[in-house]
Amino acid sequence: MFRYLALRIASSLFALLVITIIVFLLSHLSGNPVDALLPDDASQEQVDSFIREWGLDKPLWQQYLTFLVNAVQGDFGTSLKWPGEDAMGFVIDRMPATLQLGGLAILISVVIALPLGVAAAVYKGSPVDNGAQMFALLGQSMPNFWLGIILIWVFSVWLGWLPTSGTGSFAHAILPAIAIAWFQVSALARLTRSAMLEVLDAEYIKLARVKGVSEFQVVWKHALRNAAVVPLTYFGILAASILTGSVVIETVYSWPGMGWVAIEAIRGRDFPVVQAVIVAYAVIYMISNLVVDLLYVIVDPRVRHG
Amino acid sequence: MICNKIQYLNAPKRMLAAALLAGTILGGGGIASSAAAQEKVVIAVSPLGADSNLYWTTTGAFILPSMQTLVGNDPATGKYDSSGLAESWEHNEDFTSWTFRLHPEAMFNDDWGPVTSADVVHSFNMHTGEDAKLSGIKLLKTATITAVDDHTVRFDLPSPVPNFLFSHAGRGSLVIYSKAQFDAEGIEGYQNAPAGSGPFKYEGREVGQSISFSSIEDHWTGVAPEFDEIEFRWVSEPSTRFAMLSAGEAHAVTLPRDLQDDASDAGQTVLTSSEGAMQTTMLFTGQFMKPEAEETRDARTYAWADQRVREAANRALDRDAILEVLYGEGVRALPVYTMDPRFPGYSADLSDRFESDYGYDPEKAKALLAEAGYPDKFDNAKIPLVVTSLAGNPEFAQMAELVQAYFDVVGIQTEMREQDWATGNTAIRGFTADFITPMRNAPVRPSALGVQIFFTTHASPHLDVGDPEVNDLGGKLVDETDPATRNAILSQMFTRIFDTYAHLPMATVPASVVVNSDLVDGWDFPGATSSGLSHFHLIDLK
Repeated sequence: MFRYLALRIASSLFALLVITIIVFLLSHLSGNPVDALLPDDASQEQVDSFIREWGLDKPLWQQYLTFLVNAVQGDFGTSLKWPGEDAMGFVIDRMPATLQLGGLAILISVVIALPLGVAAAVYKGSPVDNGAQMFALLGQSMPNFWLGIILIWVFSVWLGWLPTSGTGSFAHAILPAIAIAWFQVSALARLTRSAMLEVLDAEYIKLARVKGVSEFQVVWKHALRNAAVVPLTYFGILAASILTGSVVIETVYSWPGMGWVAIEAIRGRDFPVVQAVIVAYAVIYMISNLVVDLLYVIVDPRVRHG
Repeated sequence: MICNKIQYLNAPKRMLAAALLAGTILGGGGIASSAAAQEKVVIAVSPLGADSNLYWTTTGAFILPSMQTLVGNDPATGKYDSSGLAESWEHNEDFTSWTFRLHPEAMFNDDWGPVTSADVVHSFNMHTGEDAKLSGIKLLKTATITAVDDHTVRFDLPSPVPNFLFSHAGRGSLVIYSKAQFDAEGIEGYQNAPAGSGPFKYEGREVGQSISFSSIEDHWTGVAPEFDEIEFRWVSEPSTRFAMLSAGEAHAVTLPRDLQDDASDAGQTVLTSSEGAMQTTMLFTGQFMKPEAEETRDARTYAWADQRVREAANRALDRDAILEVLYGEGVRALPVYTMDPRFPGYSADLSDRFESDYGYDPEKAKALLAEAGYPDKFDNAKIPLVVTSLAGNPEFAQMAELVQAYFDVVGIQTEMREQDWATGNTAIRGFTADFITPMRNAPVRPSALGVQIFFTTHASPHLDVGDPEVNDLGGKLVDETDPATRNAILSQMFTRIFDTYAHLPMATVPASVVVNSDLVDGWDFPGATSSGLSHFHLIDLK
C-alpha cells in the first residue's frame, strides 16, 4: 500500500514539474508584459528599466530555472498588477474566499444531488425521475457564467433578495455557490442514480425486503451505503472541480477568490501571479486526486492488499 | 395585528411570505450595502490595470479623489484652472522654465499640515524614480525642480515644453503626496493610507475589490460634496455592473455601448463628459511612408503603402453609420487623429474638407483601387485588421468588424487577426507590425504631443508612419517656441497627414457613465482624465 501511495505522490510531483514548464512557457509566449504594464508612450529608458527589474533580458531557460528555484522556496516574485504584493502570498490570501464559496457549493451539491439521485432511482420512470433528469440536463447544459448572470437578474435585480456581487455577508455567497453547484449537482445526481439502480437490483436488497425491513431503511441504509462508493470517489474530483472551476463565477460575482485573481492576473499579464495561481490550482488538484486514491485504498480491499 | 393577518393567509401565500422574509434576512448584507443610502455614493467601474496607492507605480489610469495635482480642469470646459494645488503659474519666453505658486491655504488631510514646495519636490522625486510606470513621466524625468520658496516651485526643462500644464492637470503625471507623512511613516504610510489634499479622505482599500473615501467638511477649497462617503468598486463583468445599477447598489457605473442602450431603455441616465475625452482611429502600422522602407524591409508590400489604397480605405467607410453603432450620442467627426479645436494647430479648413475628401463614396473607392491595380499588383493584398480589446474601449473589436464589412463592399480584402492589446504593442514596438489596428488617444492629449507620439519619431518612435515630411515638421516643432509658428507647423503636419490619407480617423468621443435615475440628478465632468471620470464632488444626488 505504501509503495502504491509513494508512486502516486511521485507521479503527482512529476506532473507538477511539467505544469510549471507549461505555465512558464505559455505565459511568456503569449506576449510581452512590458506592453501590458507600461503605458503606450513609455520611454525606452522605462522599458529598459522594467526589463532589467523583472529579469526579462535573460534567456528563457535561465528565467525558468530562476523561477523554479524560487518557486520551490515559495517565492514566485512580486505582483506586477498589485505592486508590492508577494505573488503566492496574494494568491493564498484569496484561498479562504475560494474555499468558502467552494465549500458552500459542495454542500449544496451533496445536499441536493444525493436525495435527488436516490429519489430518481427509487421512482425510476416516474415524473420524479423525469424531473430529476431534466434538472440534471439543465445543469449540465447551461454555461455557468450565463446562469450566474441570470441568477443575478432574477434574485438581485427583480426580486431584490440577494446582493448582486461582492462579499461581506453569507447572502453574498448564495448566488455564486448555486451557479457553481448546479453543474455538479447534475453530475453527482446522475452518478448516484445509476449506482442506486444497480444496487437496488441486488439480491441482498431483495432479501432485506423479504425480511420485512422498512422501505425507508432499505433505500437509505442498505442501498445507499453500498451505492455511495461511486459518488464518494467522485467527490474528490468534484471538490477539485468546484475549487478550480470557480474562475468565471468569481469574476461574474466579483468574488475575491483565487479564480478572480487568475482572470485579473491574466488580463494584466501579471506573470508572477498567473504562475502562482496555476501552480496553486495544480496542487489542489494533486491533493484531491491523492485523497481519492487514499479513499480507494480504504474502500477497495483489492487496492489495499494488492 | 400582523399575526392575525398571517393566520388568515392561505398556504401558498404563507410560503411566499416566508420566502420573502427569508429573502429579507438573507439579503440583509446586500440591502445594508445598497447604494440607496444617500450618504454613500457607489461607483462601479472596470478593475484598474495596476492597483496601488503609490500612484507612480501605476500607469496613471486613476487618480485617487483624495489626491490632487498642481493644475485643475474646469468641469464644464476642461480648460486648465486653479482648482488644483497651484493658484497660478507662469513660464519663461521659450517654455523651458515653468513656475507654480501654491495656494497658501492648501492643507493635507489627516493633520499632515500645509502643502508646501517641499511636498512638491518630494513627490516629484518619488514619481521620477526607477519604479515609475506613469504615462507621460518621460517628460518629468528630464526636468529639474527647485523650491523657490515655501509656496513656489520651478520646473526647468532641457527643451521647450509649451504643453507642460497637461502633465499637471487631469492627466496627472505628478500627484502631490505629503512629505511630512513620508518622514513619519515611510513608504508604508503611503501604501496604507496616503494623505492627500483633495476634498475626500482616504478610508481604505479592499485590494482588487474597492476603495473608499469620506468627504471632508470645511475643505480648504470650499468644495462640499453632498454625500458623506464615496466608494469605487472594481467589477470586471459589465453585466454585473449593470445589475448593480439596476438593483440600486451603485449610483453610477461604466458600461459598454450596447449595455448603455439597455440601461437607457430601462430608465437609467447616460451622462457624457462636457468635452471629448478620447479620440479613436484605425492606424496603419509599419512605417509605410518611409522611402527607404523598400530596402530595409518589405513595408512597401503592405497594400496601404499605396496612397490610393489608403484613400480608398477611407472612402469605403460610412463613418456616420459606424459611429452611430459604436458611440451614439455626443460623438464628433474627427478629420485628423490628435487634432482638436482646444489645442494649437487646429485647422478649420481640414474640418471643412473632411466630407469632400473622406466622405463615404464606395464608387470612388473602387475606382481608386482599380487605378492602383489592387489586388493583382500587390504581393500582400489582404489587409490584416486587428480585433482587440482594451480596458475602457470595448468597442474596438466591433470597430474592426464594421471596417471589414465596409472594406468588403468595395473589394478590399481583409483578414481578422485576433490579438490582445499587449501583443499588438509588442509588434508595433518591435517594428514587426503589419496590420491596421484600432487606437485611442485618451485623454485627448495636446495636439503637439499627440501628433508626435502617433505619427513621428520625436516622441514615441514605435508609432512613426515613416513620412520624412511629417518627421521634419515634427523636428522643427520640438525646438520652436513661438506660439504662432508652432501653430503653423502643427497645422502643416495635420494637413500632410490628412492629404496623404495616413490613417483612418474615426471620432472624438466623450467619456460616459450611466447613473441610476432614481439616485442621481447629474454630474459635470470634463473627460480630462485617463479614465474620463473626475470631479466626483460634483455628483448631484436626488
